[in-house]
Amino acid sequence: MKTLLKTVVLSSVLALGVGIAVPAAAQDDSIYIPNLAYRTGPFAATGTPLMNGQRDYITLLNERDGGLNGVKLQYDECETGYNTEKGVECYEKTKARAVVTQPWSTGITLQVLPKSNVDKIPILAPGYGFSPMSDGKVFQWAYNPPSSYWDGASMILKHISDGNLDSLNGKKIALLHLDHPYGKEPIPLLEALAEKHGFTLLPIPVGLTEMQNQSAQWLQIRRERPDFVIMWGWGAMNAGAVTEAVKTKYPMNQFLGIWWSGHDGDLKLVGDAGKGYRSISWSVPNSETPLMQDIKKHVVDAGKSQISQAEGEFDSVFYQRGLMISIILVEGIKAAQEHFDVRAPNPDQLRWGLENIKLDEARLKELGAEGMLVPFSTSCADHTGHGGGWMLEWDGAKFVKASDILMPDRADIEPLEMEKAKEYAAANAPWPINEECKM
Amino acid sequence: MDFLNGILVKPFADMAAAPDFLLQVLWEGLVGGVLYALIALGFVLIYKSSRIFNFAQGIMVVFAALTLVGLHERGVPALFALPLTLLVMLALAMAIERVVLRPLVNQPDIILFMATIGITMFLIGFGELIFGGENKVMITRELMIPTDSFIFEPFGGFVSIEQKDLTAVVGAVFLVIGLLVFLNKSKIGRAIRALGDDHQAALSVGISLSTIWVIVWFIAGVIALATGIVWGARAGVSFALEVIAFKALPVLMLGGLESVMGAIIGGLAIGILEKVFEIYWGQPLLGGNTEAWFAYVLALLVLLFRPQGLFGEKIIERV
Repeated sequence: MKTLLKTVVLSSVLALGVGIAVPAAAQDDSIYIPNLAYRTGPFAATGTPLMNGQRDYITLLNERDGGLNGVKLQYDECETGYNTEKGVECYEKTKARAVVTQPWSTGITLQVLPKSNVDKIPILAPGYGFSPMSDGKVFQWAYNPPSSYWDGASMILKHISDGNLDSLNGKKIALLHLDHPYGKEPIPLLEALAEKHGFTLLPIPVGLTEMQNQSAQWLQIRRERPDFVIMWGWGAMNAGAVTEAVKTKYPMNQFLGIWWSGHDGDLKLVGDAGKGYRSISWSVPNSETPLMQDIKKHVVDAGKSQISQAEGEFDSVFYQRGLMISIILVEGIKAAQEHFDVRAPNPDQLRWGLENIKLDEARLKELGAEGMLVPFSTSCADHTGHGGGWMLEWDGAKFVKASDILMPDRADIEPLEMEKAKEYAAANAPWPINEECKM
Repeated sequence: MDFLNGILVKPFADMAAAPDFLLQVLWEGLVGGVLYALIALGFVLIYKSSRIFNFAQGIMVVFAALTLVGLHERGVPALFALPLTLLVMLALAMAIERVVLRPLVNQPDIILFMATIGITMFLIGFGELIFGGENKVMITRELMIPTDSFIFEPFGGFVSIEQKDLTAVVGAVFLVIGLLVFLNKSKIGRAIRALGDDHQAALSVGISLSTIWVIVWFIAGVIALATGIVWGARAGVSFALEVIAFKALPVLMLGGLESVMGAIIGGLAIGILEKVFEIYWGQPLLGGNTEAWFAYVLALLVLLFRPQGLFGEKIIERV
């Protein structure tokens, strides 16, 4: 009996030891990167190429380099269908092992944001989310590089006014937006700029069930005759808007969109009739770069990609932007690995890494992605980087670069960012502020 | 005073000031209404014959349209892809009857409703696996649907009518007439109506439940294909088409779940009224996007006075 008891106790201790040791070893051998993806539902058409791009860059590193600094990257998708409730479920399901959260919707980001201070997992929302997340002292765990929505709105206005926003005085600008937290995101900045520069802002919401039948919205545009229409669309809304714009015969050179409204698949529906439509973008597709050639060789041709080759997805804006999103994340992980001298950084270490991304032209060239992403760097105070963006233009068959890098007017945006960040912190008090950041 | 003026005077003054614009609004409302009616018809047919509220009608629209475009992408000429898609929809109807419905005969309605949610989930996953989630271009030209527009200049203004919208309206009218003739004049149509009236009585005179269910689900599949072609021609074919099924719910509330005529008139009424309300009252006074709720409010108002809908059957149960 005594021997049996001893055996049981010893076995239990051993099992416990192995149980603790195995995850520790596993953690050191791989870095778990979940992605709250949406390949189904009304927004799948725009989500799929982005997710494919994110996945393929991680596959490239694992296949070509054996991971990142010898550590395998474990990319995993949790399907949300762009549904906020499902997104929160995915966050809860993956957070125990996650080194980062990629929420992929402004709605999900806003839900997860208050949890970030408690769970201490960085939120990475490249080019989306709540614009004041840029204030790193308030939002210690949230990052939205390389440009925020308010940066995007500012760049669009600068572009259509040739850099002089006062020239918009007396003009009417319609904001055709998804009736969702994402679509409403630029409204506070645009309202402030409309008041300052004397133009009229006309927000035109598009509901989820009206995305594919926007005749009422475009009848309003026909009646109001705005000088410009700015689109904050997503998923099927973009395709619905461009087809209605063609039908209404609205001049395409007065119709512009944010970066999520610049998807090849949407514009292909109208082809030549969409010529002249522009979209601000912090990434530019270029299939000839060394990075893209490596992706083709090690991932696509090796049969490890999920892209649809028949539809030219490889050359598309969204697929290649997905690659850039993973580059941003991997640069953060790499910075953390090197700074803390660890193989697999924990979420807290990655937080430091994401605050110290330096993706300048030289580094982009080293990655084989020269000219594909705006150069930017982050800091503890600046979680966006504000790298600006290019204007892309639809030439009837594809998007082409139509401007040099445009920069947002930070003097207009920064005070509003700080004000809204403070408001958010006060509304969610007690909200910790990063006092250590002295920038 | 301004508020009252905005509600009672200005909208009508605007209509009178720009009658060409009003005509355009009415046309767009009519096109939308026809499309809503088509979706609602799919629900009504299945409910009428089997008392099942078919939650899968929306995804059937997506699946039918994706099959058509997917077959064409794989090299099948458009005019062959169309009958092939119909065959796929027939196979789907047979599979649903055999695998889902037959084992659930005599189960409570809620179980059958839950089963259609299961069919929806299956078709989402299956469709995604076979066709991918990307937005696809509807093969409008290949199906010989004209894509230009007619421009009229009434009252010194202009009205633009898309030929594909006109084709949709004409096509829907023929489809509905064909359906009404089939339901009222053919033997199978009478059997479907008999099943709708009384399952037990219909079965007792030798009507085959299985055969009728396959036929009804196939007809719903044909309607789903027609709806998918028309909506897909407007903004591409993707899983986003599924959400348009929600537009049919107020139509069903308004028209009644059992009435073909109710679906048609309910669809047209909601299509036109929601467009006129949005343009002349919703956008100027409420910031727009009233189409998201207007139809439901209208349907609820009707339900206050006619709980069975405008054309639904009044059910009197005696204890």
